[in-house]
Amino acid sequence: MTTAFVPVPESPGPAPVRRRGLRLVGRLVWDSRAGRVGAGILLVFTVVAVFAPLLAPYDPKVPVAPSFTRPDAQHLLGTNDIGQDILSELIFGARISLGVAVVVSTIGTAMACLVGVGAGYSRGRWASVLMRLVDVVLVLPFLPLLLLIAALFGPRLEVQILVIGLLLWARPARVLRAATLAMSSAGHVEAAVWMGGSTSYIIRRHVVPRIAPVIVAEFVRIANITILLEASLAFLGLGDPVAKSWGTMLHYAYARAAFLTGSWPWWVVPPGLCIGAVVMGFALLGFALEQGTDPRLQRKGWLGTS
Amino acid sequence: MSALRGVLARAGQYGLVLALALMANFAIPRLAPGDPLVGIVGESGALLPAAEQRAIIRRVGLDRPIVVQFGRYLGRLAHGDLGYSYNKGRPVSDVIRERLPFTLLLLLPAALASAALGVALGVRAAWHRDSKTDIGLLGLVLGVEALPAFFLGTMLLVLLAVRFPLFPVSSNIPPGVGLMTVHGVGEVSRRLALPFATLTLAGLAPYFLTTRSSMLGTLGEDYILMARAKGCPTRRVVRHHALRNALLPVSTLFSLNLGFVLGGAVVVETVFSYPGMGRLTYDAVLARDFPMLQGTFLVFTLAVVGANALADMTYPLLDPRLRAGRRGIGHVVEEPAP
Repeated sequence: MTTAFVPVPESPGPAPVRRRGLRLVGRLVWDSRAGRVGAGILLVFTVVAVFAPLLAPYDPKVPVAPSFTRPDAQHLLGTNDIGQDILSELIFGARISLGVAVVVSTIGTAMACLVGVGAGYSRGRWASVLMRLVDVVLVLPFLPLLLLIAALFGPRLEVQILVIGLLLWARPARVLRAATLAMSSAGHVEAAVWMGGSTSYIIRRHVVPRIAPVIVAEFVRIANITILLEASLAFLGLGDPVAKSWGTMLHYAYARAAFLTGSWPWWVVPPGLCIGAVVMGFALLGFALEQGTDPRLQRKGWLGTS
Repeated sequence: MSALRGVLARAGQYGLVLALALMANFAIPRLAPGDPLVGIVGESGALLPAAEQRAIIRRVGLDRPIVVQFGRYLGRLAHGDLGYSYNKGRPVSDVIRERLPFTLLLLLPAALASAALGVALGVRAAWHRDSKTDIGLLGLVLGVEALPAFFLGTMLLVLLAVRFPLFPVSSNIPPGVGLMTVHGVGEVSRRLALPFATLTLAGLAPYFLTTRSSMLGTLGEDYILMARAKGCPTRRVVRHHALRNALLPVSTLFSLNLGFVLGGAVVVETVFSYPGMGRLTYDAVLARDFPMLQGTFLVFTLAVVGANALADMTYPLLDPRLRAGRRGIGHVVEEPAP
């Protein structure tokens, strides 16, 4: 009696594809429900921001109806104290709020990469000096310092972007250093070093693509904090009056009798919820990436990989 | 030996933070564009007669070399002199001394409540990982964190002070009301309730998320499986075996987060007209009262640095591995790399 030889498959499923760089980021986001929801929210707001002139029913800078018009078919969210259409303001505000977040995150992440990856890879004397500097920046109270600087230099968008960007790189730098340290003792990196790869080649080709999810997670975290910081600054009266963000809208609503006139449900609540939704989108995205990159948390499930 | 060096390195680092904060405080107003008189006296500075302008410049010492100015600045600070607020017509340090207790009364309980609630919810979520409880808590906490603190505060105000008038609309505490009488305590706590709730909710998320992921990591360890296998009750496994280890990263969060909590205090105190340091900062921004702004920034920095130093000192109490030297056991564990 002969038994047919049945080959036993080595692994139950398809072999895991080793992904790197942005493809790895995309996979981690897509595989987690939190990531998909977060990306969806951000996509919607990005589309609104990009196509604001097409979507907004009116020019947000021009008074188009009597002041404090209640919501109706012409003005879905009514008008503000000088008769500007609130919905149009909200749609154009997405450009400023998201724009600030993206620019600040780009500056902050670039600095964090430079410092964090550099210090993690070189481990020299300069690296430890840099990390001391990181520790120093880390404990400075952000908002009070921002208030001081914004009050002195004037409520201008460029100043805010620059200052927030220059303050928020510290924590990401620390995280990226840890990720780089872990990565640079990995086999393939050491092999590349042995084969004589130059430092910049190894960092670009072997380190950065592997820690890409961490980099993107930090980018997202900076964006998250920036939107809230910008809103707080604007609320305290230090927003740029020319470029109206959601925070600036809230400032004017508070300052110009939104509560006394009872118009707060359509003047205060929508910008507040928009800020909340965008920050939530960033937070979910960051959560998905963190879960995906922390080896201690690997398990199949609803929010993790499924 | 290495412990002592660690302590010294830490102390040096805090000294560096303070030095940097002092230099920033000294340099930022001097780098700013515009008339320095406006920075000292306020918007009306440019309108003063020329002789008076010169007199103020000389009194503040702005006609001296920059090094001399910095030396004098440090000298005055050493005497507790934070400058003079022309807007308030009083020395900055006097006003801050008056307001600081109010902020402490609000911030410390709120920060502790955030931590306690965040840890409790985080443990629950981690234990029931991926269940409806976990997902619901996660969504709720992330949602609350996503709202700006001033917006959250206003919504609480509209709901609990206007719609259902359970709490006063303004948390301003009149000078007569103190904590010396029973009535006073009731009054103060009624006024504190809403800003306290806002700050607690606004600061919840980091504790929740850190506890949750730290607990998830710890619950996967072998010794937890062992504890359960030997029949240890669930409560005991969570509290004694898992939580104690999982709390370590949470404890560092408390001091690291303080900078953000202070930022929240500025907006929340403003929303509720609470007479603390945050409100003071806001008023100073409105009046462009720069000496006051510099003073509050310096006090905030001191608070954060102090809290971090305190956290460093208490960390070994929480983590027995860092007490190896004292216990006299052979293995000396290096402080975990930051």
